Amino acid sequence: MRIEHKSWNDPVLVATVAPLALAMVAFFLIPLLMTAVLTFQTTQYYRLVWTWDLKIWTEVFSKPHYWTIMMRTVTMALVCVVLTVLIAFPAAYALATRLKTFKTQIQILIIFAFLTDAVLKTFGWILILDKNGVANWLLMHVGFPPEMLNLLFTPAGTMIGMVYNLVAYPMFTIYLSLVRIDRDLILAAYDAGASRIRTFFEVTLPLSRPGLYSGAVLVFVLSLGAFLEPKVLGGGTSPLASELIRQSFETRVNWPLGAALTVVLIAIGALMLAACAAFALRRTSSTGRPA
Amino acid sequence: MTSPIIDASGIVKDYGAARALHGVSLQIGTGEFVALVGPSGCGKTTLLKILAGFEEPTDGRLEIQGVDMRGVPAASRPTRMVFQKLALFPHKTVAENIGFSLKLQKVEKGQADSRIRAMLDLMHLKPDYLERYPAQLSGGEQQRVALARALVSQPGVLLLDEPMSALDAKLKKSLQAELKKLHRELGTSFVLVTHDLEEAMMLADRICVMRSGHVVQVGTPTDIYYRPANMFVAGFIGETNFLPVTATASSVGMDVVSPLVAAGKTSIAPEHVSPSLSANGTALLVRPETIRFVKGDAAPGEWLLDGQVEEYFIKGASTQYRIRIRGLDAAVIMDLPGSIVLPAVVGEAVRIGFDPAQAFLLSE
Repeated sequence: MRIEHKSWNDPVLVATVAPLALAMVAFFLIPLLMTAVLTFQTTQYYRLVWTWDLKIWTEVFSKPHYWTIMMRTVTMALVCVVLTVLIAFPAAYALATRLKTFKTQIQILIIFAFLTDAVLKTFGWILILDKNGVANWLLMHVGFPPEMLNLLFTPAGTMIGMVYNLVAYPMFTIYLSLVRIDRDLILAAYDAGASRIRTFFEVTLPLSRPGLYSGAVLVFVLSLGAFLEPKVLGGGTSPLASELIRQSFETRVNWPLGAALTVVLIAIGALMLAACAAFALRRTSSTGRPA
Repeated sequence: MTSPIIDASGIVKDYGAARALHGVSLQIGTGEFVALVGPSGCGKTTLLKILAGFEEPTDGRLEIQGVDMRGVPAASRPTRMVFQKLALFPHKTVAENIGFSLKLQKVEKGQADSRIRAMLDLMHLKPDYLERYPAQLSGGEQQRVALARALVSQPGVLLLDEPMSALDAKLKKSLQAELKKLHRELGTSFVLVTHDLEEAMMLADRICVMRSGHVVQVGTPTDIYYRPANMFVAGFIGETNFLPVTATASSVGMDVVSPLVAAGKTSIAPEHVSPSLSANGTALLVRPETIRFVKGDAAPGEWLLDGQVEEYFIKGASTQYRIRIRGLDAAVIMDLPGSIVLPAVVGEAVRIGFDPAQAFLLSE
């Protein structure tokens, strides 16, 4: 849809958009600006000192420790995107095309699991992943050596929790893309002589791209801010960016440092999203509407 | 008919407990243009899908080019389909859409390109459309791309599932003309599904009229229009009149009498009698264009009816009158050549007449 040139002169449009625009400015842009301003201040004896210097930024750029954690966060987020999409796609595909009898029941179960409080679910995983937990108990009873899994308080444990808590997002977006594919397009591919596998790669997969991309973006953004899983399932052994930021604000009471790390995390996320958007647009712009 | 390219016999299709096709048999000759016509839900699209291989028949035998099609997937059949909503791949360019089947057959690139261009030429599409996407084309252009995509693999049979139902009347007419020309030039068998009998009559060599899973009549357009098997077929095209009569067999055909007509018994020649005539609801089919207003004496053998003008419609070249006759449920429809002076006005008592020997005797 093309926005009219004179949209500023349309009083109805301005009136309807104004509340949302004001709310965005008040609750998103201003705090963001305040965060940015905060990074140029310093602290002394746990007190904020109103100065204007680059002391905090010098610290951020000179300590590799912060960047190790940032890189770990981005890597974890990317791995989480890959894993969730790999799990979500077959599930969404089955829901959209294959399952007929229990489709509604399964959808309801997924929604229930999705809506259950994340804290509850994450602590639930402790019961499973613990050395004496359900997973090891089951494995032992089917003949594996006792205590073979040692996942709790490792990055792998964190990843299991993140994947579990986020997998529903790409499942929904991919499902919505898949159900929108006209069945006749699949038949047309068969009619032209394509096998089922060929049809999947020529028609189904390319047309589910919007759902794949939006699901991946959602998971990526949410993983960057993952806080609960590294804390509960990772046991704080390999903290991610959100834990680092929390520590800066709460434990060290160094607000300017926390703000600077926040800005770094937002910048990394935004840059990566911009790169992905450029890639996705290049691939899909041509399939859209008339120019 | 030349050797049949499609030989379907006793095709039955059940969807759960509902039976969509009740043992349909149909033969389609090589190079023939056959239209499957009927109201929605008559099973015409189901039959087309069975021909294409998208549906397996519950029972019956289908041969295409002499090969039993049981278990043969759509991908391996010598048929290509043009879908109702075209089903062009939105993420592929026009060239990729048309060339998709060639790519699957691993046709060499240069040869594939020249065949795609030849198709574009045949469909009167500009070469610079090749790099466009379907969404960038108009409805009529998309239609041509869909036809090109189906014809590029040189199928034995082209199946068309109401591909013109979404187009406006003018574009439809021009594409219908092109389709007919295309069929003549290519010599491919065409099977067209449509609910529009007029379209079927314009295009097809033979028409198969279907109703609730049965074939009602198969015949040339002339057969369907002038010698319909029953009232359903006769009523399917345009508006027409049925005059209930009692028919008895005689030495020269059928003798018919109507309680509404004073003239008495008239003999109908055998070629004006439906071959599937039954005793159930016998009627004379009187086409609107064969009825006239009678002002003076009746012509010899003419049947007369007295009534009142209910409504008239001036259609330009013709004027349609609806005459209410006492004893008939539906108004009698008559089409007169248009004239500058109206022959009758609403409410006027009129006498109308027609020659029963030119009418056609059928039943329900």
